Amino acid sequence: MMRETWQRLKSDPYGLSGLIVVSVFFLIASCVWSGLLGQGWYEVSGTRWEGISAEHWFGTNLIGQDILQRTLFGTATAFEVGLTVTICSTLLGTVMGALSGWYNHSWLDEIILWLKGVLDAIPFYLFAAAVAFALQGSPWAMHVAMIVTFWTTTARIIRGEVIRIKQRGFIEAARAIGLPGLKTVFRHVLPNTFHLLLVQASIVFVAAINTEVILSFLGLGIQDGVSWGLMLAESSQEVLAGHFGNFLAAGTALFLLLMGFNLLADALQDALDSRRIVR
Amino acid sequence: MLGVTFISFLLMVYFGPDKTYELLGKNPTEEQIREVRHELGYDRPFLVRYGDYLRELVTFDLGLSDSNGEPVAAILARTLPVSLALVLPGFVIGNLLGLALGLLAAWYRGKWLDKLVMSASVVGMSISFIVIIIGLQILLCTPYGLNLFPVRGWQVDGPGSYLYYVTVPTLALVLVTLGYNTRFYRAVMAEEIERDHIRTLRAYGASPAEQLFKHVLKNSLVPVLTRIMFSIPFVVISGSLLLESYFGIPGIGLVTFNAITSGDQPILKAVVGLTGILFVVALMINDMLYSLVDPRIARP
Amino acid sequence: MTVPALRVSGLSVWIGSGADSIQVVDGVSFDIDPGEATGLVGESGCGKTMTAMAILGLLPSTGVRVSCDHIEINGRDVSRLNTAQRRKVLGRDIAMIFQQPATALDPVFTMGQQISAVYRRHADGNQRRAHEAMLASLESVGFERPEEIAQAYPHELSGGMRQLSMIAMAMVCKPAVIIADEPTTALDSSTRALILHQLQQLQALHGTAMLFISHDLGVVRQSCRNVMVMYCGRLIEKTDCQNLFSHARHPYSAGLLSCIPQLGATRPGRISSIPGQVPALADLPSGCHFAARCNRSEPRCSESTPVLDAQDKKGVACFRPL
Repeated sequence: MMRETWQRLKSDPYGLSGLIVVSVFFLIASCVWSGLLGQGWYEVSGTRWEGISAEHWFGTNLIGQDILQRTLFGTATAFEVGLTVTICSTLLGTVMGALSGWYNHSWLDEIILWLKGVLDAIPFYLFAAAVAFALQGSPWAMHVAMIVTFWTTTARIIRGEVIRIKQRGFIEAARAIGLPGLKTVFRHVLPNTFHLLLVQASIVFVAAINTEVILSFLGLGIQDGVSWGLMLAESSQEVLAGHFGNFLAAGTALFLLLMGFNLLADALQDALDSRRIVR
Repeated sequence: MLGVTFISFLLMVYFGPDKTYELLGKNPTEEQIREVRHELGYDRPFLVRYGDYLRELVTFDLGLSDSNGEPVAAILARTLPVSLALVLPGFVIGNLLGLALGLLAAWYRGKWLDKLVMSASVVGMSISFIVIIIGLQILLCTPYGLNLFPVRGWQVDGPGSYLYYVTVPTLALVLVTLGYNTRFYRAVMAEEIERDHIRTLRAYGASPAEQLFKHVLKNSLVPVLTRIMFSIPFVVISGSLLLESYFGIPGIGLVTFNAITSGDQPILKAVVGLTGILFVVALMINDMLYSLVDPRIARP
Repeated sequence: MTVPALRVSGLSVWIGSGADSIQVVDGVSFDIDPGEATGLVGESGCGKTMTAMAILGLLPSTGVRVSCDHIEINGRDVSRLNTAQRRKVLGRDIAMIFQQPATALDPVFTMGQQISAVYRRHADGNQRRAHEAMLASLESVGFERPEEIAQAYPHELSGGMRQLSMIAMAMVCKPAVIIADEPTTALDSSTRALILHQLQQLQALHGTAMLFISHDLGVVRQSCRNVMVMYCGRLIEKTDCQNLFSHARHPYSAGLLSCIPQLGATRPGRISSIPGQVPALADLPSGCHFAARCNRSEPRCSESTPVLDAQDKKGVACFRPL
């Protein structure tokens, strides 16, 4: 199935370009992590608000830091947030969804559904603020808030799939030969839902990066380091004075990465949608 | 509803910031601490405090704001209309436009028009809210662009000034929601257009307009209404939070934003409670509309 | 010589485009006179429904190609009409009854609203007269209290009542031609008899021509005078029902008949089946498509294609008919 998917993804020009964009950004992020790029993000290397030059490709900011360096470093931040949130919320959502789908109609299912309902009903930014309070300004408050709210969609998808697959024959068969219930879920049901998870994960990734920007802007986001959100927050005052460096650099980088992910998610969905074969 | 208030209470009141030390000077005695804690009600059992919170919400006796001592209920009454006036046009336009584009794309499914609309919506989905706001400001509000509208503020005293202040936030809201709305509506409409009874209509010579606006639209009203009703609480609170804090508009979003940054508990509690109420009201209206729209629900 | 109510000649349908396209309907031609019912039988996937959809012009404009010499309703060629003109014909001169009345009717409008809408679209925009025509039509299909049916939503009716309402909708403008695509397949056998009876009565009353599509020879025998057998997109035999059952001439028709288990046979004999498999539409053999499965075939069967005389009521596309 993977090879078939890859073949179809390769023949989709939009999906392929999305994949390339995401890969390039990931490469940049890796370089930042391994100390090859973006290390000078905090150095004051010029005067304030310098224009575009050979030394500062995107100019400098209010206190003379190089915007290119900060944009590159922001890529790593974006991936850190995106990956942490995506992995944790997908794991959480999968476990919760599998549990509530497998023990469909039991008290456990009821509790998980109730929790999902509640979390979906709280306006996210308020919730993030509340988490930030509860965690007394921990740098992980933003991550926690996102993970705790983003798992619900994943769980809903997995729950539906588990219930659907449970009704098909092969789980019955696994039970008949004596495999215990929940183990069966993880061994047989979840591989069958992998494609849905992948698509949902890419959607969560987009949401996480988007939300980081907004939370950072509201002052609830990244505490140390620099992110595109913080750069945009800085730029909101600068643009009125005609300094577009931060805005253009962070805005463009953000747009490209999100666009890449959106295209990739769409193409994945198309490539993995088995119904497409029939059509 | 209870769940929303419970979680918010748990997070913001029980684990929330402790005002004790703010009220006391340095080096308070054990006795003083106990006194203040009692005054604030911190020493009472968890469930009692939760009960108090619920009673406050139900009776709209929301206490006084920590930061300026104004009654919270009065603050809400003053700011809520501003927020509604701010987000309503964008919300309505964003949904109507999304509906129209979704319908168009679904009707021309697979044709170039569909592809164009869908590509545009992916682009729209990929631009961050903040980028849209700042970008629009540069284009419309500064000398670097058209410089037609104010950068920020809200001094509305008539239809003219309302338009003057509301245009840019509305555009921002429309742009940020349009991509998502269009995709959602297209998916719903495309499914409806595939249905057998639409084929029947074509076999009996119904015009595209009759098919789309009478039958497709009425059949898809359930998911459409659900989406609209459930996004109302979020747009009113979350959407206005961002727009108002950016444009400096004195609505409920700005109040919330300030409360978040200053830790103004009574206001946050009230806003969360308000959201819960909005949510429940939306749920109720939604159920009511269902039975109006779908005869299968109305007559069991 | 009467003008046929429906004349189809040289109708072909391809799915897909360019070199990959598959021909699913191949040169179908037939006449149906006013008041005549003609059955179109064949296995599933042989192109029956495609033929009906192509006659109505309901096939999607992308991915499907249709060509024909002409399709005439009461002598008027409707195949070259533009979409707006065609809309005026659909429902007024030719109407379709679908297989699944449960999904073919709009769940959020009452039967009355749906039937009146057809009448107002084609005959008379006046609301009151449309209401009367709708009630009359419901009454004519045998409902004793048409007002109740008119106010009901499709889900409130039983399958048989829905199909009768669908027939009322088809008949409300008194079209010249009705195409019924497996109208009784989704119903139980007692309802089936009622529906067939009503269809026959209405047809006799209004002189409507009917193309009755079914895979069930028994149902066709009950409701039609003439019958056409289709195999792999081609009509291979046209005859009247009595004749088909007594003297089927095409080996495939004979094979199809022998597959019907005989009720009340003294000893349950073996249910026979036609040897071999239906060839894939993407890979049809040249010549007669049935040659490979036919026990009477000879070399020329796979070399050249036997043809059926286009507008004749009887004929067989076979070099060595029974």
